[in-house]
Amino acid sequence: MEFVRIIPAYDHLWAVKSPDEEVDELTLLFRKWNNAEYLLDFFMANFEDLKGFFKIERLDQAVEDTLEDADALEEMVLDFPYTEHLDELFKPLDITDTRMSELTREKARNWDRDRHASWLRIYAIRLEPNVYVVTGGAIKLSRTMQEREHTAIELDKLNRCKAYLKSNGVFDQGSFVELTNE
Amino acid sequence: MASKAIKFLEANTSESPSRFVEDAAWRKENANWLRWSRQLAITLIGYMQDNRLKRADLATKLGVSPQYVSKLLSGTENLSFKSVANIEEKLGISCMAIS
Repeated sequence: MEFVRIIPAYDHLWAVKSPDEEVDELTLLFRKWNNAEYLLDFFMANFEDLKGFFKIERLDQAVEDTLEDADALEEMVLDFPYTEHLDELFKPLDITDTRMSELTREKARNWDRDRHASWLRIYAIRLEPNVYVVTGGAIKLSRTMQEREHTAIELDKLNRCKAYLKSNGVFDQGSFVELTNE
Repeated sequence: MASKAIKFLEANTSESPSRFVEDAAWRKENANWLRWSRQLAITLIGYMQDNRLKRADLATKLGVSPQYVSKLLSGTENLSFKSVANIEEKLGISCMAIS
């Protein structure tokens, strides 16, 4: 597994770079989220979820909202204060990912979106305070990640990255003690 | 001094650097015309839904290739006024509102 630094000279944000893809997971995500044709295909394929969970029946509205939301999320990632304080942007994925444990699975979204909750998610593994590796992301229209194939794939990517980092000794009890003592 | 985690990431860095910052900078620099391109794409998507059209149907109505329809729907194409006027005329819609 290979990684890329997202912002030159900053150690805070990284992303997985798959050998099968031209670009890293974060770049790929925002290229998709900025392509209205990709979004049209996605919302057509997931129209029942859009109607059922968000009560939105207009494809043009769903696409427009996503484009706006992607712009906002992009700024949050790149602009201060979040650039250096990623712990404020990312939140644990679920109750089992408490920040007292190692290599937690996390999600970021635009938490202050108007009209309806944001459906865009960036998924990442938290290595240490304010240091994250993005594994992917999704347009999440359902309640849980397990119940839709495209989000289940993202959950699997999170778990595989976590297992890979753990198996390579990236985070162990020793480094946890060192960090908490700083 | 870099932590153990940062050292690991640096040791396993891909030869292809991230394009995220570069892409975001391009989107910002081109935001003024991109909003028109996005607006056109959104209008076309609404038109397709209202009239139950597929991409091929839209291509036929516009007299263009499906590949060109893909470009229009991407919301990232820098079109000429003439091209936009042609779309508006053929579909009987307004894509660029002037206030």
